[in-house]
Amino acid sequence: MKDPSDRTKVVLRHLPAALSQPALIEQIDGHFAGRYKWFYFRPGKNSQKHLRHSRAYIDFKRPEDVIEFAEFFDGHVFVNEKGTQFKAIVEYAPSQRVPKFWSKKDGR
Amino acid sequence: PERSARVSKVRPPLHQYIRKLLFSDLDKSSIEHVLRQLRKLPWDECEDYLLKCFMKVHKGKYSQVHLIASLTAGLSRYHDEFAVAVVDEVLEEIRLGMEMNDYGIQQRRIAHMRFLGELYNYEHIDSSVIFETLYLILVFGHGTPEQDVLDPPEDCFRIRMIITLLQTCGHYFDRGSSKRKLDRFLIYFQRYILIKGSIPLDIEFDLQDLFADLRPNMIRYSSIEDVNSALVELEEHERSVLTEKANSEKHSDTEIRKLPVRTNSIATSAN
Repeated sequence: MKDPSDRTKVVLRHLPAALSQPALIEQIDGHFAGRYKWFYFRPGKNSQKHLRHSRAYIDFKRPEDVIEFAEFFDGHVFVNEKGTQFKAIVEYAPSQRVPKFWSKKDGR
Repeated sequence: PERSARVSKVRPPLHQYIRKLLFSDLDKSSIEHVLRQLRKLPWDECEDYLLKCFMKVHKGKYSQVHLIASLTAGLSRYHDEFAVAVVDEVLEEIRLGMEMNDYGIQQRRIAHMRFLGELYNYEHIDSSVIFETLYLILVFGHGTPEQDVLDPPEDCFRIRMIITLLQTCGHYFDRGSSKRKLDRFLIYFQRYILIKGSIPLDIEFDLQDLFADLRPNMIRYSSIEDVNSALVELEEHERSVLTEKANSEKHSDTEIRKLPVRTNSIATSAN
């Protein structure tokens, strides 16, 4: 078990389904450019049957950056094109694993 | 009345092929072959679709869930980003399932618990992810105004989720720190069960089997008072171990954690 104070990977949940990755990155980079090592975006889906929020996983360089990020984005309200409000949630990702960048290209 | 015939979904050939590999070809004897075929796919084009299919563990046979976990572990050498995404995705599914608590997707939620356990069995995740999930199930939504919707008093589904996860991978928590972690969790679990009050007989039998399998000598507390005093004792013991450690070594990098009261906000837990 990693000590909570060592954790660097967070998940940003309950984002608008239509939010695009570039639009989100723009918002994040406004304050946190250069402070994270890895970013992974899961776009949401808004069909008649289901609403699925967008989500993003971010691995910060330093645990302290996580705190600052949470202070900024936890409860932060995103507004979609129709004016609906989405209150984002920031949490530590339950799995702290991030991809190893050096993972070799698959030669098959 | 006239009605047009139901239009069946036409999937692109690549998607059809992925589905054939995962949903009809995959079995114990073909898994090596399926893994090789998956590696040959044009990953840039189909990674998202593969992730979607990996989450459909509930569509196949329950006894086959471990094969998808094995494939995930097998792919991590070549597509680590994908293998990481599978874990994040299944954890999100479990979490979302609790947020919605929708009766209609219970089978799917059970399959995801099994999948998570199998990912542990294939050494793709470590025990901390399992225990985080177990404690999350005990406390999620409790103490909030939505508690009666998220975990109604008569709803025993969360007990089923925990039974499924521990049936899948609990037998590996039989030594060392993970043994202690399970011992500790099972007492909190017992309190959760006792607070529920009357449990349907089929679940009670599954619980008896689970305890008999994992901890045949563990006391099953019969009242909330008993389990509470056991927990008070446990927590006092943990505190004293913690202070002892802190005194004996400066950097007490221990595995002993605070009470499993999950605060969602990182900002507050850091204070």
